[in-house]
Amino acid sequence: MQINEQKEKNLQKQLRREAINRNWKLFSQSKLGMIGLAIVTFFLFLALLQPVLFFTGLWSQGVYNPVVGYDRITETKLVVECPKEYPTPEYENYASCPGDGEVQKKMLYLAQGVEVGDMYEVYLQPAPPSIKHILGTDSLGRDVFSQIMEGSQVAFVLGLLSATLGVGISTILGTVAAFYGGRVDRYLMRQSDLVLMLPTLPLLFIISAFAELKIWHLAVVLGVIGGLGGSVITIKSQALQVKVKPFVDSARITGGSQRKIMFSHVLPNVAPLALLFMVFSVTGAIASESVLSFLGLLNIDMSWGLMIYLSQTDGFIFSGLEYWWLILPAGLSVTFLAGGFYLVGRGLDDVFNPRLRKR
Amino acid sequence: MIVVFFIFLVSSYLLFNAIPGNAFSNLLLNPNLPPDAYEKVLQTYGLDKPLFERVQLYVVNFFKGDFGYSYKYYPQTPIELIAERLPRTLMLFSVVNIISFYTGFFVGKVLAWRRGTKSETWITVTSVFSYTVFYPWFALMMLWFFGYKLGWFPIGKFLYPEKWYDAPFDSDIIFAMMIKFVVVISILQFIAYTVSRGIEALSIRRNIRFTSLVLIFIGSYFYWNTGEALARKPYAADIAYHMILPVLVVTIVAFAGTALLTRTTMMEVLKEDYILTARAKGISQKRIRDRHAARTALLPVVTSFIFTIVTIIDGSVLTEQIFSWPGMGQLLLQSVLNEDIPVAMAAFSFVGVFALLAHLIADISYSYLDPRIRIKSQG
Repeated sequence: MQINEQKEKNLQKQLRREAINRNWKLFSQSKLGMIGLAIVTFFLFLALLQPVLFFTGLWSQGVYNPVVGYDRITETKLVVECPKEYPTPEYENYASCPGDGEVQKKMLYLAQGVEVGDMYEVYLQPAPPSIKHILGTDSLGRDVFSQIMEGSQVAFVLGLLSATLGVGISTILGTVAAFYGGRVDRYLMRQSDLVLMLPTLPLLFIISAFAELKIWHLAVVLGVIGGLGGSVITIKSQALQVKVKPFVDSARITGGSQRKIMFSHVLPNVAPLALLFMVFSVTGAIASESVLSFLGLLNIDMSWGLMIYLSQTDGFIFSGLEYWWLILPAGLSVTFLAGGFYLVGRGLDDVFNPRLRKR
Repeated sequence: MIVVFFIFLVSSYLLFNAIPGNAFSNLLLNPNLPPDAYEKVLQTYGLDKPLFERVQLYVVNFFKGDFGYSYKYYPQTPIELIAERLPRTLMLFSVVNIISFYTGFFVGKVLAWRRGTKSETWITVTSVFSYTVFYPWFALMMLWFFGYKLGWFPIGKFLYPEKWYDAPFDSDIIFAMMIKFVVVISILQFIAYTVSRGIEALSIRRNIRFTSLVLIFIGSYFYWNTGEALARKPYAADIAYHMILPVLVVTIVAFAGTALLTRTTMMEVLKEDYILTARAKGISQKRIRDRHAARTALLPVVTSFIFTIVTIIDGSVLTEQIFSWPGMGQLLLQSVLNEDIPVAMAAFSFVGVFALLAHLIADISYSYLDPRIRIKSQG
């Protein structure tokens, strides 16, 4: 008896491993899915790298901390006084004074005893990329690369938490609706109608107006809204398809209880669809977080949306590409990570949706 | 549906009620608010009554259209504010919706048709990029590029105030007129399409459609150059000029969702047997694509499109904030930020009504588009 159980377990393990291998093979056939996976892995690596760097002491907290770090980067500049009228022999128009390596005298009103023609050491904030700061520093002298890493931690925590929560809720509710039918089903469908009707973003504004939203609060709110919404309907229809399959009938005939059938026969067959939903909802969660912190409605220390918010309020967004390290990395990170998850979802779609496979 | 709507109203009231420290009475301490407004607000919301009666009162007030006064723009009521701003939002987003739906559907169609080629991969990558791009950032970059660097389009706002100093009418009239114009044009176009749909011969159909398009153009030219419309033309042109950039940006972002969905459904349709039959009959490729496959694939796309109207309302908040387009979304955001509770409540409820109507239309159009449902419901 003991040996048989052991054998069965081994067989199950082997089957599972084979299934994973087969699915992986299918997944790796889709090029876009692999690109997405690479992007996600890259950001995961960034998110994990930062604590390692702090822990090993390669980065000191004082300089590289994404929120309170500060680095003083100085440059020696020539003190000049801009003329009242243009053009002069040195300056062509208003925009060309002060030129490269020069600083206006009236900007140094705090420094005493500085004359025109002196060399003076000024702080460079935001500082352009250098070896010490790969992506430069922001207007408060904080390292942008470190902020990007912190932002990817936030994005992963938020995305995975809210997606797991949302998909958990919607899978259970969808299966219950399909399984019990009748009044429960009708109630759940009306409920998801209501949630679908809610305009999410205004709702989040209102919630953030009276509650100080921290990152995990937001994850819970997004997860619940996502979990009660349209995905319940889709998962229900999938579960209905599974419910009428012969193996459910045979399980019922052999005396399986309702709950047993639901959890060990129906749920596993709905799971692939749920996983797909999860991957897609990560995209939505990341976007929502960035939008909210872009509008300054979230109570968090650092995120990609907040970085763009800061660069906008500091007035660098219209400086074009002169201060590109303040504008491009954060925006592209949001785009690429959301896109990466989306592409992974597309790849998984090819695996779980056999009708679309290339044959 | 009606039950859902009542639940929505009650829950939105409860949501506002949950604001700590009773935001209503807190804000009534505002010294800028005259005593009679204070009394009015107190009465309208029944603040001295228990919760249940307050909810009842709110629902009744909603149907009366009575939301008290705005705290910030004092003598105006929320309804007046909404009535002022709704046309602007409607104008912007009706145009965006139409354009993005057609481009999205067309691109998706072509994508599914060219499955496996190199151009398909490239278009897919582009649409995935524009589907997942961080919208505010993208809008700001476009604003910087087209508005600031190239200087083609104005940066924000929906009109040049200098032009409107001696205007004999306010902008809302022009907006109403432009909306009427757009609606009439699209109805005419739609009629032309439905009439010509029954005609089998491709060349005659194409000619009819082309003539109708030309006729509409000539008609609108005459309309804008006669009588009352002539005086209003420069102002309308000013608004239209300010609309180009927002429409462009939102379209680029919004078309991708439709395109990707069309691609998926279209690919499933192309596996069906009747496509094979059509091929075997020797029908031209374009005809199979447009009349056999795309028709069937249209159904889920239309449904999802109507569902995304809610998402578009969401997006309107951002668009209007970035382009400082003074519409409903901006009103909602500003009122929430200023804790102007009556306006926020009114705007939020209105957005809910909007979404509800969209769902209703979705249900109706679904049964119209899918003959199976229509026939089943008839008996």
